[in-house]
Amino acid sequence: MGKKILIRRGTLVLPHKRLLVDEDILIEDGVIIRMGKGIQDPQAHVIDASSLLVGPGFINLHVHFREPGEEKKEDLLTGSRAAVKGGFTSVVCMPNTKPPIDTPMVVRFIGYRSQEVGLTNVFPCGAVTVGCEGKNMTDFGLLKKAGIVALSDDGKGIQSARLLYLAFQYSRYFDLPFLLHEEDEEIAGGGHMHQGEAAFLLGYRGIPEAAEDTMIARDLVLALYTGAKIHITHLSTAFGVELLRYFQKFIPVSADVTPHHLLLTDQDVAQMGNFAKVKPPLRSKKDVEALKEGIREDVIEILASDHAPHTAEDKEGGFVDAAFGISNLEVAVPLYVKALVEEGVIDWVNLWRKLSYNPAQFLNLKERGMLEEGKIADITIVDPDTEWEVAVNQFESKGKNCPFDGWSLRGWPVYTIVGGRVVMRERSIVDGEFC
Amino acid sequence: MSKWRHAHLLGIRNLDKEDIEYLLEKADSFREFLENSPKGCEELKGYLLVNLFFEPSTRTRTSFEIAGKLLGMQVVNVDVEVSSLRKGESLRDTVRTLGRLKPDVLVVRHSASGVPEYLAQFSPFHIVNAGDGLREHPTQALLDLLAIRRFFHRFEGLRMAIVGDILHSRVARSLAMGFGELGGRVVVSGPPTLVPREVEMLGVKRVFPVEEAIRNVDVVYLLRIQRERQDAGYFPSLKEYAAFFGLSDAYWEKIKDQVVIMHPGPVNRGVEVSYSLVENERSLIEEQVTCGLAVRMAILETLIREGEKPWEKRF
Repeated sequence: MGKKILIRRGTLVLPHKRLLVDEDILIEDGVIIRMGKGIQDPQAHVIDASSLLVGPGFINLHVHFREPGEEKKEDLLTGSRAAVKGGFTSVVCMPNTKPPIDTPMVVRFIGYRSQEVGLTNVFPCGAVTVGCEGKNMTDFGLLKKAGIVALSDDGKGIQSARLLYLAFQYSRYFDLPFLLHEEDEEIAGGGHMHQGEAAFLLGYRGIPEAAEDTMIARDLVLALYTGAKIHITHLSTAFGVELLRYFQKFIPVSADVTPHHLLLTDQDVAQMGNFAKVKPPLRSKKDVEALKEGIREDVIEILASDHAPHTAEDKEGGFVDAAFGISNLEVAVPLYVKALVEEGVIDWVNLWRKLSYNPAQFLNLKERGMLEEGKIADITIVDPDTEWEVAVNQFESKGKNCPFDGWSLRGWPVYTIVGGRVVMRERSIVDGEFC
Repeated sequence: MSKWRHAHLLGIRNLDKEDIEYLLEKADSFREFLENSPKGCEELKGYLLVNLFFEPSTRTRTSFEIAGKLLGMQVVNVDVEVSSLRKGESLRDTVRTLGRLKPDVLVVRHSASGVPEYLAQFSPFHIVNAGDGLREHPTQALLDLLAIRRFFHRFEGLRMAIVGDILHSRVARSLAMGFGELGGRVVVSGPPTLVPREVEMLGVKRVFPVEEAIRNVDVVYLLRIQRERQDAGYFPSLKEYAAFFGLSDAYWEKIKDQVVIMHPGPVNRGVEVSYSLVENERSLIEEQVTCGLAVRMAILETLIREGEKPWEKRF
């Protein structure tokens, strides 16, 4: 007989049915075997989930784990620990490592390493171009065979329209989706923050919305003509939402946002400094409102986080010299709760849907993203009520570059179960089976 | 025997089923004849064949040259590298000047689609298209059809998969038209960047992936992949091409009892076809070469003996 876990007295979140139900859930050998009221099983280890929400594990399709090559910033162990601390049972790690994820060898390396770590499911994202240099397509087919689930040159926009046009056509053979970082480098022109009054006043070179919106428009047109499956990642502009809304009439294009683009604006840069330096830049109040509206209307169907850890050295010095990026993996969910649930933008079920079911569907992870008998037991349990403070010095991640230190938040994950194994309990990583 | 109604061989698109069958019938006898030695004859003694190649070619040009010589023709190869075209003479003037040297047949290859048709508008000799841009390569298609005919002894109901760079292939265009005209059915596959939707206008079906396309066919026709297509971004690498769009030994094992392999050559061994399959007993790749000679002999003989006289018509 296998190992059993019984989660009792919780409220189950069923995002694929858009339902909350008060039921118990029984797990055996890594699989959900029963759901229903008043399940008894003397052999099972019991988790009491009274007044907690129990749902499919969160899936974050945009993180940077920096391994191989930049283990000073993060590695697959610390990244995985941060993931399960934050309630994420699956993550998609971006390919801008050193070397980049542009050969089957690196894909397999990440596969082996993350299995060795054995905390969260790590799905590598392959580079669109060799070396993420924007010049030549990588071997999409061989990369998929090695285990990638998507393609991206994240960190950079793909400047050549022709290259992307052909890559979009070519990708269809292998049914690989694109996660697109949208930035026209000529327009962005080496800017450091959103081009607006704050940048003007601070005297920082600006990154206009046009740098993002022109690329979004171009790529939507290319997707329209090629039938490629594309997803705009870390969408940050109001007009980007508008473009997406328009094109969704014709093609099934999706997008994600990050928590920081919902909670901060360019006005915060003056006070927060380097920790608020990120790409795309923190935009204006109007953009934040438009993103929330897009989320409410399901134009934006996925929530990710663009977890981008850096060393203290990388974030030091003047604003102009500091690296772009925010470390947020273990606080992403409570940040979303603050930005979206507490503000009444969406309810818990819809939040959960955008954090689990929708990304699973997008990535074609059929066995994940829902609570159902027979599915893999990737489960996150959230305490919706208790307030805790963000303590960056307690982060599992090596990246302490987080502007939310000291914020008091609700909606923290308190248990993370990956493949039927409890890996986080009461906000601590637990090594091994259960208890 | 039907009278040949054409002055030129510009493309398969100009031929009907009867025309193609007539040429294949004749080519088939030449193919038999080629097993003899001596194999020359004086059938077309005293006629002049000029090979005018604006694109490098060894195989096709040599094949035409030998075909002409075996029929007793005088054959001249015009080397474009040193011709007056390099001195700025127009295509029109080059060909009109060549015309005054009184060839009977001009075999022309050019990288621009439509050149043979253009030359046919004003040339007082037979034009044979030896490949024009992306448009047609009718003698290649006919030689392929001859090889198929000699193996299967029929076309009706046969199924062929053409795999590879359909977009840039004049061979694919000519062959799909010819095979279809004779009653065969064609599917195409390859990297989606190189298999455009428009190919369906030829009555051809696009099928992905390649394994699916070649699962239920009689002929697998692999197109040569040009290195410059990789440089232009149509596919990432030869390694990936071989892995997904080439015919591997492993996959061959699954289909070998029912299909033959064809390729217009020259083969990139280990890319379109695994190294050993080229010489497999179910490969027609080398037989295609000999069929090419027979087909070209049949065409020269037919145009000169039975073809409409371009000068009677136009001058």
